[in-house]
This record gives sequence, C-alpha cells and structure tokens, in this order.
Amino acid sequence: MAHLAHYREAHPMVFVITHWINLVCMILLIFTGFIIHYPFIAGIMGICRGVHVFCGFVLFVNCVFRVIASFIVKTSPTGGTRKQDTDIKSWLPQKDNRHQALQWIKYYLFLKKDHPLGAKLGVPQKLSYLLIPFLIFIMFWTGLCLWAPTMNVACFAGTTELVGGAMSMRIIHYYFMFVFIIFMFIHIYLANVEGTAPTKLMFFHKEHGGLVYDPELHNIVGEDLDPHKDK
Amino acid sequence: MEDQATIMNAESILESRGVTRRSFMKLCAGVAAAAGLSQLAIPRIAEAIEESVIGATSGDLYPVIWIEGASCTGCTESFAQIETPDVASVVLDIISLNYSETLSAAAGYSVEEAKAQTIAAGNYILIYEGAVLENWGGEALRAAGETGIESLVHAAEGANAVVAVGSCAVNGGWMAAAPNPSGAIGVQQCLKNEGIDTPVINIPGCPVNPEWVMGVLVDVVLLKDPSLIKLNSFSEPAALFDQTIHDNCERRGHFENGEFVYEFGSEEEAKGYCLYPLGCRGPQTKALCGVTLWNNRRSWCVQAGSPCIGCCEANPNNPGDNWVEVNAPFYKRFRDLNIGSFKFQPEPAAWILTGIVALALVVHGFGMKATGRMDGGAPFEPIRKWDKEHPNQSIGTYANSETGGPVLSAEITEENTMHPVAAEDVVVEDYEQEVGGGTE
Repeated sequence: MAHLAHYREAHPMVFVITHWINLVCMILLIFTGFIIHYPFIAGIMGICRGVHVFCGFVLFVNCVFRVIASFIVKTSPTGGTRKQDTDIKSWLPQKDNRHQALQWIKYYLFLKKDHPLGAKLGVPQKLSYLLIPFLIFIMFWTGLCLWAPTMNVACFAGTTELVGGAMSMRIIHYYFMFVFIIFMFIHIYLANVEGTAPTKLMFFHKEHGGLVYDPELHNIVGEDLDPHKDK
Repeated sequence: MEDQATIMNAESILESRGVTRRSFMKLCAGVAAAAGLSQLAIPRIAEAIEESVIGATSGDLYPVIWIEGASCTGCTESFAQIETPDVASVVLDIISLNYSETLSAAAGYSVEEAKAQTIAAGNYILIYEGAVLENWGGEALRAAGETGIESLVHAAEGANAVVAVGSCAVNGGWMAAAPNPSGAIGVQQCLKNEGIDTPVINIPGCPVNPEWVMGVLVDVVLLKDPSLIKLNSFSEPAALFDQTIHDNCERRGHFENGEFVYEFGSEEEAKGYCLYPLGCRGPQTKALCGVTLWNNRRSWCVQAGSPCIGCCEANPNNPGDNWVEVNAPFYKRFRDLNIGSFKFQPEPAAWILTGIVALALVVHGFGMKATGRMDGGAPFEPIRKWDKEHPNQSIGTYANSETGGPVLSAEITEENTMHPVAAEDVVVEDYEQEVGGGTE
C-alpha cells in the first residue's frame, strides 16, 4: 500500500456536492446533447432540450460557485493530512508540484518505477482541472450562441460571426463536448486505477487509511492505517 | 428617358386594372406583412401609394436600376413570377425600372443609354443581383464594356441605396463556395473595398423571396423613410432575418414532440413529421420563410417536404460563410470539414479520436496491472529527482538529504491525522522497503 491516507478534509462536503452536481449535469448534458444533435431516440426531444438548457445553466452557476468557494473554503493541500489551507492554493500550482511534471508523465508512461511525491493533485491532473472551468465557460458561451432566445444578443451573435456562422459554432460546441467525454474517461480511469479510495471519498465521504504526508515538510511522516480506530 | 409618371386618377387606374378598393387595402396589408411592419402601418402605406403614385398629379416614380452580376437570374425570375395581380401591377407602376438585363424590353445600346441617363440624373435605387467577381482583374464578368466591379461601383456611387438581392449579392453565395476560382464576394464587401459608403440593404435567399424585395421597396421607395427598416448587424431587415426558420416552422410541434422523419418515403414523412434528422438547417438559418411563404403564399420548402438547406445563410463580411459552403452536404446534420482537399464529417472524426483514447486507457490499464500498480499505485519515490540533484533548492525535507526517505515522526503524524498515533503508525515493518522500494 503506497497511497496516501484519504481524509474528508481534502474534499469538504460543499465540494462533494458541487462534484455530484458536475457529474449529474455533465452526464445529462452529454446524453441530451447527443439527442439534440441527432434524435436517435424518438419522442424525447422536448424534454431533452429542456433538460439540456437547465443543466447548462446549473453547471455554469455551479462552476462559478466552485471557483468563488475555492477562495473561501479550506481544504487539505495534499492527501495524507487533515491540515487545511485555502482551496485555491492547491487548485493552482503549488510548491509540491514544482519540477514534478516530467516525473508524472514518465510515471504514467512506465518510464519511472516509483510514484512521484506530490500534492493533492498530480501535475497533469492539476492542469486538466484548471482547464475545466474554462471548458465549462466555453460550452456555456457557445451554447448560448446557439440557443434561440440568446443567439441575437450582440456578444453571442458577434462570436457566431467570428467563428464563421452557426454551423461552425455547432461543430465547436459538439467537439468541446468530446473534450469533456475524453476528460471524463481519463479522469475516471486515473482516479480509480490505483484503487477506489479516492472515489469513495469524493462521492460518499468515506475515509481510507494510508501514508501520512506533511504539507510543510513535503514528505511522508508516518502512516495511519485506520483513521477511525481508537488509538 | 422617362423617370416620371403622371397619373391623374387613382380610382380609375385601379379600376382599369380590375382592382377594387377592398383588394387595394388587402394589398397594403400584404405589403405591411411582407415588410414586417405592424398593421398600424397599413394606412400609411395606402396613403403613400396613393399620393406618390396613383393619385399624384405629377407622378413620383422612383427610378430603379437592376444590375445582374454573377447570377443565374434566379432572383429576377423569382421577382418576375410574383403573380398576385395587384402587387405586380402596382409595383411596376410605383417604380420606374429603367434598367434590367432580363426584364427591360429594350436591349443593347438603348438600354445602356437609359442606365447611363438614370445614373446621371441621380436619386435612384440600385438593385444588385448576383456575386461580384474579383479575380482576373474583375474580367470574369464583363457587360457593355465594363467589368462587373466597374458596373457596380459606377451605379452604386450615385444611388440612394443599394439593395443586394439574393445570397450571391450578399456574400457571394454559392459562387463563393470552395474553391471559388473567380473570387466571388458580396456587394457590401466590394463597396467597402472600393470606399463607397452608399447604404446597402441585404436580402439573402436563393432565390430571394419576391415579397421581401417588395417589402424593402415599399419602405425605401414609397414611404421615403429608410429608417422604418430596422437593419441587423448584417444590414438585413431585422424583421425578416432575426428569427430562425425553426422558430416559425409549421412542423415545430413535431420537433418538440420528438416526431421525426428519418428517411424519405417513410410513414413518418407521410405524416408530415419534422425533417430535422434529414439535415434541416431551420434551427440555424435566420429567415421568415415559414411566415412569408413562397409562390404567392401557397407553400414553402418545408411544407413541400424538403428540409431547409439554409439558403439564407450569408454573412456579408465573410464570403466563406456562404450557404453552400457551410451547409453541404444538405442531408447530413453537419457540414463537411476540409483538410486540404480531404473532406470528412465531424462526427466520425470525434468518435475515432475518443475511441483511440479509450483504447489507449485500456492498454495502459493492462500496463498498470502488469506493473502491480493497481493496488495503491507504485511505492513512493524516496526523494524527488530535482531535490536529489539540487539539494540546496530542495522542495521536500527528507530523512537523508542525499538518499531521501520519509521523515518518520509520531508528533508530526499526529499533527496531520489529528488523533493519537499508535506505535505501528510510525514504524511499519515493511514501510521502509516500500517507500524506498522503487528506483528510477
């Protein structure tokens, strides 16, 4: 067992909820988006459009809330500790990440046998998480460019003109959905390939023992096999 | 040259054409609808027509020049086929169509002379049909000794307004579709390039809907108040081109119900279901087709059973955003994308890329299994590579600054776990081995 202990302090309840909202909205948006693109199941277009627009707004508002909350809510800057600091510090690149990008890539490509020491998020993971709010914003914006009630608003009409018309906008919206799908594939894979503990913590707040890591020493300091055992 | 008319008696003129007062007012209502004006405008239209044309002691026919650029003459045909007698008669009486390659009875020198005189007299409207061809020094199109560009520039300079009819005139239309060897562009862009600031009103469509041309002519020519036409950012009448065809489609109910035609000749088609899966461009094409209809308001493409192919898509500032380029193939949901001369549909490309990623993850998963990383990952590195090579700038603190290793401490562990630490939490038998177990 080489993974760090998984404590609730890494993902406070508010972020468990925003993560659930992200998951549900993204799955519904992708499914309804496919139906809207081509109605391969007849009879559900009306409801799919309603759900798509609704979830689009929810996802965007949730994303804005999540970003704002990251400046307020405290989370553990790494796994293996209950110490907390403002969340944005561990969302943005932090000291633990320095010089480790290449090591992570080498690890994933099996060119490095041992696991890089690191922060709550590995470098490739952190880069992709930083991109997600921008992706959500792009999807929200391109969606509003295509949605009849907003398509003529100057900023959206101007964007549509910039990309070469509504057809190009549709293709961009469609392709960015695939960016989300690919992100989800990789995200789900990497979160679970070394064990399901991170998923259990993220979704159900279930803690898991492991190595203890001190965010100030940037190193492992011990082990906590059972976080809830009365010692 | 005749650009004035004298008509003494409106009633007698209308009667002689078999037009009753009632049908005349119906015409005015139709004109208001076509122009996107409210019913309140009907009396103003009637008054304008009567005063400026029918009842005027001294007529006030507005001279119009209709020039064809690179066109198929379809827009002229469309306009000429407007058969509601009232509309056709009155329109031909309210404007003085001094020049039209197709409609003028005269030809050759005499009609060119009429055009020259109209331009010299000024105070006229220019209707331009077809694309402007830029390549080969504009020599791709030549009429009466002038290139297409010269002809347009010459006529547009003195015009009160230029009405670009049809998608070709708006941005090159299908003429501008790849590879566009003749360099087709729209009227607005051409005039901008030539530094001419005559206002342009764009009316896309392939062909243009005659009633829309009528509506604009009524606004500009009769009411003498171009501000009545609210133009959008594409210089199109906003009332005609700010809503999608989908918004006003008679099959919209079927769309919302999820009732679709998936193939021609099917039972669904017979039921008149929505044509969306067959590539209908209604949701992304802005025009009032479903309200104005065609062929004297008898029918239109979608009513006739064809998906919209988006012929009104025309960005006057971008010939590349022409309706053929962005909509072909018409029966697919997406256009084709091009990489050089290679064409492909966006959907399979996206699926193939996603499939490759999924496959790569599966292969990677086997790699993770083979290297024993699936149960908690590989053991941690004892020291960061950077820290080993740069001990003075070390990120982490290690048991040994050269070989690394965890800083095992009951106190610090307790700080991080926030509960008492058991002895085995700090010294685990195989802990060292695991932590230091891997080497690069």
